[in-house]
Amino acid sequence: MIEARKITKFFPVINPQGLAEGITAVLSVSLKVEEGEFVAVVGPTGCGKSTFLEIMAGLQAPTEGEVYIDGKLVLEPLPSTRKEIEIYQRKYRFLSPIANDLWRDIPKSDIAMIFQDYAVFPWMTALENVFFTLTLRRVPKGERSYLARKYLNLVGLSGAENKYPSQLSGGMRQRVALARALSVEPKIILMDEPFAAVDALAREKLNEDLLSIWQSMKKTIVFVTHDINEALYLADRVVVFSPQPGTVRNIIPVNLPRPRKRASREIGELRERIWQIYQYDATGEIIDYVI
Amino acid sequence: MDRKLTYETKGLNLVLKELSAFFTGIAKNNFTVEFFTVFVPIIILWEALPRLGVVPPTLVPPPSVVAETFWDLLVNHDLIGHVGISLLRFFLGLAVAIVTAIPIGILMGWNMFLRRHALPLFQILAPIPSPAWVPITIILLGIGLPMQVFLVFLGVFYPVLFDTYQGVKDTDPRYIASARVFGASELTLIKRVYLPNALSFIVMGVKIGIALGLVMLIVSEMVGAHSGIGWLLVESKDFFRIDRMVACMLTLGFIGWFLIEVMKYIEIKLALWKVGR
Ligand SMILES: Nc1ncnc2c1ncn2[C@@H]1O[C@H](COP(=O)(O)OP(=O)(O)OP(=O)(O)O)[C@@H](O)[C@H]1O
Ligand SMILES: [Mg+2]
Repeated sequence: MIEARKITKFFPVINPQGLAEGITAVLSVSLKVEEGEFVAVVGPTGCGKSTFLEIMAGLQAPTEGEVYIDGKLVLEPLPSTRKEIEIYQRKYRFLSPIANDLWRDIPKSDIAMIFQDYAVFPWMTALENVFFTLTLRRVPKGERSYLARKYLNLVGLSGAENKYPSQLSGGMRQRVALARALSVEPKIILMDEPFAAVDALAREKLNEDLLSIWQSMKKTIVFVTHDINEALYLADRVVVFSPQPGTVRNIIPVNLPRPRKRASREIGELRERIWQIYQYDATGEIIDYVI
Repeated sequence: MDRKLTYETKGLNLVLKELSAFFTGIAKNNFTVEFFTVFVPIIILWEALPRLGVVPPTLVPPPSVVAETFWDLLVNHDLIGHVGISLLRFFLGLAVAIVTAIPIGILMGWNMFLRRHALPLFQILAPIPSPAWVPITIILLGIGLPMQVFLVFLGVFYPVLFDTYQGVKDTDPRYIASARVFGASELTLIKRVYLPNALSFIVMGVKIGIALGLVMLIVSEMVGAHSGIGWLLVESKDFFRIDRMVACMLTLGFIGWFLIEVMKYIEIKLALWKVGR
């Protein structure tokens, strides 16, 4: 179970005039994701979805708020007063709080993440990429090769195992990232627009595969996407973010039985509702009764 | 017994294969038609001008004379021995510099805490031109192998150090993040993320280091040695043997060029993933 409590993230930036400014990427977002739940997050570009996901993964410390995964605090929030800052700096003098152990490979929590820009290692072949994460999770040596091939097959990359990412297309790279995340069989998967770079047909196929993996292995998934249809097709709940600073604008439950039909009337209605929220946020124009 | 033999032949075959690939690569990339259209006229001019008396042959020895001198050095003056001792000094210095600079560079690039402590020191020391170290080195270490090795080391150390540091520091944070989510320890990060990312930077640093190391080798041999190519050069000056000097200079040029070619080959072998596209 993931529990995010009032997450706020503030980035100090220098504006073009050379003055210090700041932007609030995420503002007081609370979200509870139950065990085995599939939650989609949608929102306009730049609203802080990726930032929120990275905070949940423990890759960025929130400015305020806490994330608990299975009751365990992921990262303490950044200090705010001068005194706190001093203590914090002393505490993390040698290793950054985001680092894992110095010598042993231990993840902070049993999660895997797929990044928006894939972040597969260009110096490893597709197979070596998957192999690497399996090694990190201490999968016994004998099983690694089998598992790596199995998951590369699953995402449709058989035959490209020994290619380097630079020799793969964007969509194929994304699949390597997918295989890498699935192969370690984590309890929780955080996905940041994982299918943005594949064509519509392949995307539908990957959606099906993801659903069957989710259903058979009972994983908890948080899925960020730009595609409202995809969100409604996949998720139990759709979290709608507002434009910057990102807050939870609305949470829309999708109580439709699976397998769902993409073109069904119910999905159409829900899509219309989310569109109107977007429209209202963008122009301030009320088209119909919203919320 | 049988098995050992096959292993040996296998190993030998592999070495032969790599060597032939290396030399074919050199030949293909360097000795092109375009190269010869520049090279041949230069040689002809060089031979013709002194012979026709356009320039004094005592000051500009033509290539045929240089070749003769080279042969003479080889047969009568133990050129091989001098090259050998120079290379020994050079490789000792190079090896010491590489095994110290790369780990220090990695540590500084990886960790902010260590960087803050170590980097300023190196940034103050590095701008001192390496030849400026010669007098103090001679006084402290005396004339001999330690002094020559130390001076070569000084030439190689900083470029390798700073390039390694830069390559490690500039690792895309996305790669680090993606390894960390899966639980990578800092040690694993260094071995599997920072180092492969920095590899081409390191090779570049070593290339620059080789060039500067050769400079320091010659400087150290000119002022503090009784053997080696640098010493041969100075001695030729004392006897006003311009032909010998030219032969020595060409030998040095060849050594430097060859080492850089070796580094290029190593780079391709190590960073295969970059060649892909
Ligand atoms: N390290 C950073 N420093 C300064 N600003 C940042 C940083 N990271 C993100 N931001 C800002 O925070 C905001 C949210 O960024 P984020 O990447 O989370 O958006 P997003 O919702 O994922 O957008 P998209 O849908 O385009 O992926 C953006 O305005 C971005 O400019
Ligand atoms: Mg994003």
